[in-house]
Amino acid sequence: MRNYLKNLQVAFGEVFANTSYIALASTLAISAFLFAVWLPNFGLIGEVFSTSSAPLTAKLKIVIALLGGIGTNFSFLSAGYTIAIAAFFGVNIAMVVYFLKRTRTRLARQDVAAGFGGIASGALGIGCAACGSFILTTALSSFGAAGALAILPLRGGEFGILSVVLLTLSLVLISKKIAAPLICKPS
Amino acid sequence: MKQENTQQTVQTKNNLAVPVAIVIAGALIAGAVYWSARGNSVAVAPQPQAGAENTAGLENMNPIEGSDHIRGNPNASVKIVEYSDMECPFCKRFHSTMQQVMNEYGKNGKVAWVYRHFPLDQLHPVKARAEAVAAECAGELGESDAFWKYTDRFFELTPSNNQTNIATALPQIAREIGLNETKFNSCLTSKKYDKHIQDDLDNATATGGNGTPWSIIITASGKKYPLSGAQPYETVKQLIELALQEK
Repeated sequence: MRNYLKNLQVAFGEVFANTSYIALASTLAISAFLFAVWLPNFGLIGEVFSTSSAPLTAKLKIVIALLGGIGTNFSFLSAGYTIAIAAFFGVNIAMVVYFLKRTRTRLARQDVAAGFGGIASGALGIGCAACGSFILTTALSSFGAAGALAILPLRGGEFGILSVVLLTLSLVLISKKIAAPLICKPS
Repeated sequence: MKQENTQQTVQTKNNLAVPVAIVIAGALIAGAVYWSARGNSVAVAPQPQAGAENTAGLENMNPIEGSDHIRGNPNASVKIVEYSDMECPFCKRFHSTMQQVMNEYGKNGKVAWVYRHFPLDQLHPVKARAEAVAAECAGELGESDAFWKYTDRFFELTPSNNQTNIATALPQIAREIGLNETKFNSCLTSKKYDKHIQDDLDNATATGGNGTPWSIIITASGKKYPLSGAQPYETVKQLIELALQEK
């Protein structure tokens, strides 16, 4: 445990000493967050920008106001894991990019799988919490299993938590690789 | 040799982490699907197939008629049709937002609020529908604003999230707003509003509703905008302002 934390500290220090990686992680994290908050109302945003005759400022005000949905349209839990997923997603990708650029080698399958699994389950877990996980409800209903969510104690929020766990695992794995000394090792 | 074994163990642990996580995720889904198919206690209503991004469905909205519950000026420039589940905590929150909207835009006749039922049987079996029936019965048995008095008090009093004791809460609210309790209880068991509620639910689904609260904002020219979820007051306000500017 101590080693993992040390690796994280070393890797963070190394990667984010460079401001371009801070910018990359921030951009990705903010994009992921905006996607999650706007997701239930993409239809509204599309309609407002494509068909409304109102001035642009009025349209932009709606898009900005929708961000307040994180406080009213998400439960405390879903808001927490949505923010965590967005942040971990940004940091993860920035660290992977740093690692690939530094070593010019491929990542092991397990590292890719953990990151991908985290992002995928995060996408499933994104719930505007309009009484359930938005994507999961739509996905399950397409094969007639919509009622499945009702018996999950967190109504699909389990996937959000799973996502945070997998993204954390991915961060730990990539940190370990970044923190490892650059040496030639016989495979 | 010993170090090699330790390395192998660590490697094995690392290799196992991802499959274990995937298996847990798979087990969660499989378990959920299995229990859902097995249990008869969870009613499975027709589930919306379209996401909220499907705005083509908005044209399927049933026209606003005399049988609708309308708060404010029926000829208002902007109408907000809300499809709501009385056990949904986000509908409870959005109800307050809409009350705030009506305080600002209802008094001068600019906005009307239309309430329709969207009980989510999968999440709130039995209770959400029973509560919708109770609101309809209140509307029938009380004065012209009894439906609204009932729903306002209901959302104020009850905890939502499937925790309402309908056996005590529904008659209590009926008493509080001055309804005849015997007639109210008789109406509750009569099934006379079952079709009306099912029609509202079907219409919510047909318009693209994917969860509650699901709202449709209609401008003076008849243009429709979808609004999904319990959005904050500021969002609804900006949308009303935009709708008022449309000719």
